[in-house]
Amino acid sequence: MDKQIILVGLNHRTASVDVREKFALTNVENFEQGLLAACPLREVLALSTCNRVEVLVVADGERAAGLDLADAVLHHWAMACEGPIDTLRQHTYAHRGLAAVTHLFSVAASLDSMIMGEPQILGQLKKSYRNAVERGTAHVIINRLLHKSFSVAKRVRTETAIASSAVSISYAAVELAKKIFGELSGKTAMLVGAGEMAELAATHLLSAGIDKLLICNRTYARAQELARTMHGESVFFEDMVERLPGVDIIISSTGSPTAIIRAKDIRGVLKKRRNRAMFFIDIAVPRDIDPDVNSLDNVYLYDIDDLKEVVEENMSARQHEAVKARSIVDQETEAFATWLKSLALQPTITDLLGRAEEVGQRELAKTLKRLGPVDDDTREALEVLVRSMAHKLLHEPICFLKRRTREEGSAERFIDVTRRIFNLDGDAAHPDAHLDRRSPDTEESLDCEECCPDAEPQSTPGDRVKPQ
Amino acid sequence: MGLPDVLPILIIGLYFFGTALYVLGSALRNERLKVAALSLGGAGFALHALDLGGQLLNANASPDALTSGRFLFCLLGFGILLIFLLLWWRFKMRFLAVVALPLALVFYATADATSGIKATLPPMLTGLFFLLHIGTLFASMAMLAMGAGAGAAFLHLEKRIKMKASLKKMQQDMPSLDTFDKVNHWVIVGGFPLYAIGLISGFIWAWLSSKRVFSGDPKEILALVMLVLYAYLFHQRLAYGWRGRKPAVLVIGVFLLMIVSMLGINFLVPTTFHGFKP
Repeated sequence: MDKQIILVGLNHRTASVDVREKFALTNVENFEQGLLAACPLREVLALSTCNRVEVLVVADGERAAGLDLADAVLHHWAMACEGPIDTLRQHTYAHRGLAAVTHLFSVAASLDSMIMGEPQILGQLKKSYRNAVERGTAHVIINRLLHKSFSVAKRVRTETAIASSAVSISYAAVELAKKIFGELSGKTAMLVGAGEMAELAATHLLSAGIDKLLICNRTYARAQELARTMHGESVFFEDMVERLPGVDIIISSTGSPTAIIRAKDIRGVLKKRRNRAMFFIDIAVPRDIDPDVNSLDNVYLYDIDDLKEVVEENMSARQHEAVKARSIVDQETEAFATWLKSLALQPTITDLLGRAEEVGQRELAKTLKRLGPVDDDTREALEVLVRSMAHKLLHEPICFLKRRTREEGSAERFIDVTRRIFNLDGDAAHPDAHLDRRSPDTEESLDCEECCPDAEPQSTPGDRVKPQ
Repeated sequence: MGLPDVLPILIIGLYFFGTALYVLGSALRNERLKVAALSLGGAGFALHALDLGGQLLNANASPDALTSGRFLFCLLGFGILLIFLLLWWRFKMRFLAVVALPLALVFYATADATSGIKATLPPMLTGLFFLLHIGTLFASMAMLAMGAGAGAAFLHLEKRIKMKASLKKMQQDMPSLDTFDKVNHWVIVGGFPLYAIGLISGFIWAWLSSKRVFSGDPKEILALVMLVLYAYLFHQRLAYGWRGRKPAVLVIGVFLLMIVSMLGINFLVPTTFHGFKP
């Protein structure tokens, strides 16, 4: 059962924005279905975001023998986007086998993202996978591969500090505000101007717990509009300085050619607010806030360049953590390779019988302990009994699996289900695993203590089984 | 060698290693080292309390014990750790251990070195005198010590923010500028009245004992300078809303004067009332 796993894609490193725009998949569903129809593939999953397109395909080795599947995918892709195949070839990469697995794990763990460590890509990958499952284009291999990639992403986030430091300007602004004020609850922020980055910083501050947001803009209607969407209060531009005594954090991003907030204004403001600290974030170019403001006591000013410096240093820290993350990815790729090999029938039969015998031996040991001393003949007879029960019980399931391998296309599904039912790969099941497939009204405990109590019963001399 | 002989060595050892480990843990940003240091400091503090308790019990037999240099410095070191624990609990100021542990070590070691040395105090100045003069002064001094630590941390963090240092260089577990300033506020608002009560009670008892309020003692002169600075700080903070850098610097200044007064004048300058003589 030789499987081919191929991943073809382009990203922000291999393709410029216009190429990415040209070859973005606007209708992933049609693309996946069309690809399955056009090529001898078993499974397909496509992910399309503004920074990357990844097409993951799985094919049977025998069916796809002699075919260049990566090229076939590129042809279908170019056709779907109505773009030149040569351009696509020039800007794409193709990974085969375990290299494809490693690449997917790296993408899920955001090691391949434009901003390394930012978790958005994981959500996008989960969404693509859910859609592929619903459309029926993802089966055993992609199921396993994607579930594994989610757990790799989780391991990377918990075992490394790849996402611990601020690498976006708005997040850095919030972190600095926390260094000045501690808790942000009870604080008031003012947005002066309405740039996209300033809005993002204000959104971050709101989610960090600030109490009140004032929005001040030269065009009052725009301030009102923003105030509605951000649940803030609009302020006339002329009233800005008057309102400053009640404001702790000011984010400015107007298009003014000269400074709109001067140090002499802030001296008066500080007196009125009894020297309580103020934090100015100037995202405008040219700057909105007089740099002398930073020299005043209890006033802190950061402009766009200062914030970028803070962020760049953290980026290098993330690069350092990425080394650890890549070793996790390598470990998990190896584990996946082991699982892939086990999908053949013979290893599964061996594992199944091994597991049954192991359980039988464990239970026999407990029984012998309760029985007390037994002679060698009895012990041997019991061992034979346990072994033959295990083999006889598994005879029918094994025959069933053998019959399925003779049929086209269903063997690995049953083998995978068998491996999961008997937990032959020793995977730990998380309580929220497959939560998306469970309906809230059928929530029930996954605990199986009632049906298979494993704890050794408390034996008393009275209930000891007497040897016959 | 009985417990009373071993106890001071044990306490000094615990404070010493606690201090060294905490400084090392802070430099290396190693949480385990810090926890180990605080455990050692905690054990030292418990034994310190035991030592103080023993000295108080001995005071029944020999009232002079409470005027000995050993008891007074022992009490000051204990007070500093007590205030540190309060600040840790109230403001999560665990990092102040970097100030509290070495000060406790210095004052306890000084106490141990001054065994047999005692202040020449009029015998009538016991009981209430301790509560009003020594108790209040030592409490305010302990608060000053913690205020100086918070002030130094404020200046350090403020400089980093003003100079646009990277977030990585601002320690993750370090409290915010606002929290340091809050400590400064409580040190001034709580410490100044205590210091004033301690000083005024001293002058009253001086008048009662020798019909003289001010004797020109260098320690008295320095104490008055400290009182004036403290009062200025109190006034500026409450009336003019001083915050941040200025009060932080001034608290550190008053704390340094306190060190000069406690260790410099008591041992090096011949004084009338406050010197320790063998």
